[in-house]
Parts: sequence; structure tokens; C-alpha cells
Amino acid sequence: MAKLACIALTGALWLATTAAAAEPIAIGISLTQSPPGSVIQGTQIKQGLEIMKDMVNSKGGVLGRPLVLIYEDNQGIPEKGRAATEKLITKDKVVAVTGGHQSSVCLAEIEVAHRYGTPYVNVNCYSDDVRKKGYPEVFNPSNYNTRSATAIAETIAAMGVKSVVAFAENTDYGIGGAKNLAELIKAKSPGTEFSYVTLDRAGKDFTPAVLALRAHPPEMVVTLMIPPALYILINQLYEQGVAPSRKTWLFEGAGVVDYPDFWQNVRESAQWMISFGLYHPQMPIPKLGHDIAAEYTRRFNGEPPRMIFQATDSLLVLVDAIEQAKSTDSPAIVKALQTMKFDGARGTFQFGHEGGYGFQQWVDVPYVIYQVTEVNQPVSKTTLVKSPGGSLDVKKLQRPN
Amino acid sequence: MLALDLLVNGLVFGLFYALMAVGLAMIFGVLKVVNFAHGEFYMVGAYAYVLLALKVGLSPWVALPLAAVGGAGLGWLVERLLMRPLSVGYGSWSLWKDEYSVVVTFGLSLLLINVVDKVVGPYAFLGPPLLRTRSLSVGPVLVNGQKLIAAGISVALLVGLALFIKRSLLGRQIQAVAQNRLGASLAGIDATHTTSVVFAISGALAALSGALLAPLINPTPDVGAFPAIKSYVIVVLGGMGSVWGAMAAALLLGVLESFFAVYVSYAYRDALGLLILILVLLVRPQGLLGEKVREV
Repeated sequence: MAKLACIALTGALWLATTAAAAEPIAIGISLTQSPPGSVIQGTQIKQGLEIMKDMVNSKGGVLGRPLVLIYEDNQGIPEKGRAATEKLITKDKVVAVTGGHQSSVCLAEIEVAHRYGTPYVNVNCYSDDVRKKGYPEVFNPSNYNTRSATAIAETIAAMGVKSVVAFAENTDYGIGGAKNLAELIKAKSPGTEFSYVTLDRAGKDFTPAVLALRAHPPEMVVTLMIPPALYILINQLYEQGVAPSRKTWLFEGAGVVDYPDFWQNVRESAQWMISFGLYHPQMPIPKLGHDIAAEYTRRFNGEPPRMIFQATDSLLVLVDAIEQAKSTDSPAIVKALQTMKFDGARGTFQFGHEGGYGFQQWVDVPYVIYQVTEVNQPVSKTTLVKSPGGSLDVKKLQRPN
Repeated sequence: MLALDLLVNGLVFGLFYALMAVGLAMIFGVLKVVNFAHGEFYMVGAYAYVLLALKVGLSPWVALPLAAVGGAGLGWLVERLLMRPLSVGYGSWSLWKDEYSVVVTFGLSLLLINVVDKVVGPYAFLGPPLLRTRSLSVGPVLVNGQKLIAAGISVALLVGLALFIKRSLLGRQIQAVAQNRLGASLAGIDATHTTSVVFAISGALAALSGALLAPLINPTPDVGAFPAIKSYVIVVLGGMGSVWGAMAAALLLGVLESFFAVYVSYAYRDALGLLILILVLLVRPQGLLGEKVREV
């Protein structure tokens, strides 16, 4: 009888161990999958996350357990993002949350993550405020407003541009970016006049704002907006002969040339536009980045957009941190994220410890500046003016004929 | 020079607003309900035009009337399948379950947005222009060619609609039903059929508005939300149910917004409409051309 009980107990223990070993590790993903938020960004991030998840699982998963992603659609609405994060943490019991790509939503979501002490990795929220909160659970392996504003201001200074007008969308990203740009232009190009106009991101007609520039166009127009409002603005700037023109440069600050619908929506209006970007096929990236690019091309055709690398890196840092911590407990993962060095798709990095915009941020996140010289030009064929680690060569920039 | 530019731009956008708002005013006129899915009629028109022209390869001049037919069909279906069941005595005295119509049309709005998002995709589609010339100089004013031709078509449609309502038998029946549904039915007018026609016209006008603007506004599935809000403001400003009032209010709002954006604040341009709405409700609740009524 005792022997039988011993066998039964051993069997039960074996079953329990097997079940535990097979129990997946769940990561929560809150992103936009339906309007009014940016579904394009949400779709690209999902593609990147799925690529990385499959790569991880094909190598045995995390801590020997399969990795699963639980998606929630936040529609780009802060309140829905907050509810989605709450649900992922409390009901789905995810060990971390990632996917955030619109600043206003990230700012709402990190409050929830902070309350529960759950690690949160920001994929694409540019607003410096996401960092300035100083929440220990929030990590930022992607771009931030000060970084892109610095890049734009340095380009303006190098080009010797003396008057700049920025059009900023009425969001944390747009208004925050415009304020950063004002400060940085003042610091890097003291003689340059700068002003900005706030536009409604749901707006469909920006002609009055553009008309106001027609009589006295500035030397450069900078846009701090995302589609579809950005597309409408680019078209209206071109139609009214404001920019790009022989007198006025157009600088797009959000990095959207690699969006799949970009050329269909702007056509000749975007020729000669200068763009800030976070990926360019000519920029040097590690082997992991090339593998991800190849996998993207195999699955979806075409050149990978920058969001793919941002998404894969965001998931990768969580996977690496769990492996390093050998635990799915939040404090252990947070500690690993704070101290580890990561080999990502875009390079090796560590999260910064200084306060302000650099808090738990990949401070030197790579960026590029390039100019579109032909209609329907893929990013790989654009003129690279600044590559990561390289110098800024504004002599390559061309004015419209 | 700038003032002239702003005036022209304001009038042009006022015409587009009018095309949207008139349909909404007509529906309110005959049924006394607000169609919260009106913006999605506009969105369906924009998508129908873009997809027929870009994917099917039809000429934009063929895609435009087909988009209108699609909008009319959608309007007719909504009336037939969703509006009629909400009323008792629909053809005559009509006892309404008003709150249901709000829920139904609001639900329809969300449904249409998400269906288009899932079936067509989240991407923006810039429609092909009716005229290849992108910008035309009219005196000192530089106008987008598509805007100019769309404004011309809008004027023709609005004048045609005004004549139709005033002169044709069906137009007079619509007026009669709008004034007194029971009285019209007692006089032998088929109020049910008239309401169907109004929904079809409303759908066609909104769809045409969307199609005409598709080469300018890069439609996405939620493109209808913004013009719909403007239309509600215009309908109240013009006088609930007044087609003429809606036309006048649309032009007025278009021009006011254009000047407000440059001389006051671009950031608060869209708040202007809501401010006007509040002022109108406080000072002249019947609107510009609406009639003051008191129900007992």
C-alpha cells in the first residue's frame, strides 16, 4: 500500500513539474489595432513582436518555457490604454507590458504599471515626459523627443537656416517636440527665428495655417505630426507652393517615409523632403538586425520599417532580463533591466540612470537623417545625410529644381 | 490678399460642410432623429470612390456617381432595416422610441468604422483627383484644382436639391412630412416612402461629399467623425430640420473658421464651432432659419 502511495506521489510530482515547465510566460501587449489611434504603427509593432516571439520560442523559449503574447487593443485612446494595462496585469497575470507607441497612451499606461510595480517597455512613445516621471518600472529602448529635436536643430544649424516654422500636432508628442525644438534651436543656432503652430491631429484642412506662410515663407518648415494629418499637411504645403520649394526646405520629424501608405498619400508633394528616421537599410546594424530584416522580408515582402526593430528590441530586452533574473518576479526583472547590457537588433546598449529625459533610456539610440529625391523612392535609395555615428553632411541636400 | 485666400478657402469648405449637413437636416426634418452614423455615410462614399478608382480602375468621373449610388443604397437600407422597427405608426402619427435611434445609429457608426478598418485596412488612401491640375490660379488666389471642381459640383448639387425640394412633387411631399407627418399622411402622402427617399438622398449627399474630398483628405476609416461633428453644429446653427438654414450656416461656419484660424488661433479653430453652438442654443435656440415652436 505504501509502495503504491509512493508511486502515486511520484507520478503527481512529475505531472506537476511537467505542467510547470510547460507553463508559458505571458507578456502583455497594449497597442492600437483599430481607429482612431495609429493602426499602422500598431500593425507594424505586432509584426515585429511576432517575429521576435517566434525566434525566442524556436530556441526553446524563456527559462525553458514558451513565450506568449497577450494583445489588447487600446485604439490610441489613453483611457483604453489604462484599462488594457490594468486588465493585462490583474486578469491575464502578465509578467511585463510592452507595445506602447503613442505618447498620450503611454503616459496613461505607465501609471498603472507603476502602481503594480510591473515592468513596462515603451516601444515608440517619443514624449520626454514618459522618462521624466522617473518610474523605476518604465524602460525606453527607443527614440525620445529631445533626441529627434537635437537632430533637427543640429541640421538646421549646419544648413545655416535662419527662419523655421514648425507644425506640431496637439498631442504630448507634438507639443512636447515643438517646445524641445524651440530650446535646442536657441542653443545650437542662436540667430534662427523659430515659431510653431499647433494643429489638430484629427483635422482635415490645414490650408489657413499654410496660407499664412505663403506671403512670407520661412527657410524651413518642420512637421511634428503623424499620418493621416501629416499627409494632408504635406499635400497642402506643396499645393500652396510653400514647401518643399526653392526657398523653403521641408523637414519631417516623425520618421514616416517607411510607412506602407506613405507614397500613395503624398506622391510628388514629398519629393525633396528631408526626414528624421530611426532606420535606414544603409546604416550598420548587428547580425541580429539583419536576421530580423530578412525574416520581415520573407513574411511581409519589402524593406522592414523602423518600427519592426523597435518592437523586436522591446521584447528582446524583456526576454533577456527574465533569463538574467532567472525569475518572472517583477522586482527581479526590473533590477535586471536596470543593470544589464543588451545586444539588440540596432546595437548594444544599456539603460541610462541619469534623471530627466535620460532616465532608463537608451540615450544614444541610433538615428539617421536622409532626403527623399524621387517620387516613390524606397528608404534604401534615399540620400543618407547622417548615419549613426557618422558626421552630418548637409552638402548632400538638394533643393527642388 | 491673405483675406481673399481665406475667404475662398472658407467658402469652399463651407460648401463641403453644406453637402454633409443638408442630409442630416433632412433626416431630422422628417423623422426628428439625429443620425449619428451620418459621418460614416461620408466615409463609405470616400472609400467607394477611392477603391473604385484605384483598385477597380474606373475613371474618377464614373467612380463619383457610383459612390453616390452606394451612399444612397446605404441610406435606404438603414432606414428600411434600422429605423422603421423603432417606431409604431411609422407611416402616420409615428410614436418614436427616440433613445433607441441614438443607440442604433451610434452603434452603426462604430460598426461601419470597424468593418472598413478590418476589411479594407487601416491605411490612408488618397483618391485620384477629378482634374489632373493640382493648383490653379484664380486671380490672386491659388486654389487646388480638385477643390475648385468639387466646389463647383457641390454648388450644382445644392442648387439642384433646392429646386427639387421646392418644385418637384416628391420634394413638396418631403416638406409636408417634415412639417406634419400625421397631416401629410391624412392628405394621402406616403410618409414611409418619403422617409426612405430622404434617407437615400441624405446618404447620397454625404457619400458625394466624402468622394469629392477623398483626393484632399486622405481617408481613413474614422474620417467621418470630424465632418459629422461639424454637421451637427451646422444643423443646430441653421435651425433643426431647415435645409436652407443648414446651407447658410455651413458657408458661415466655413468662412468664420478660416479667418479664426489665422487671426485668432489655429489650435482653437475647431472649438469655434462648439462655441457658436453654445451661443446659438443660449441666444437663438431655433437657429438662423428655424421656426420657434412650443410643444404642449
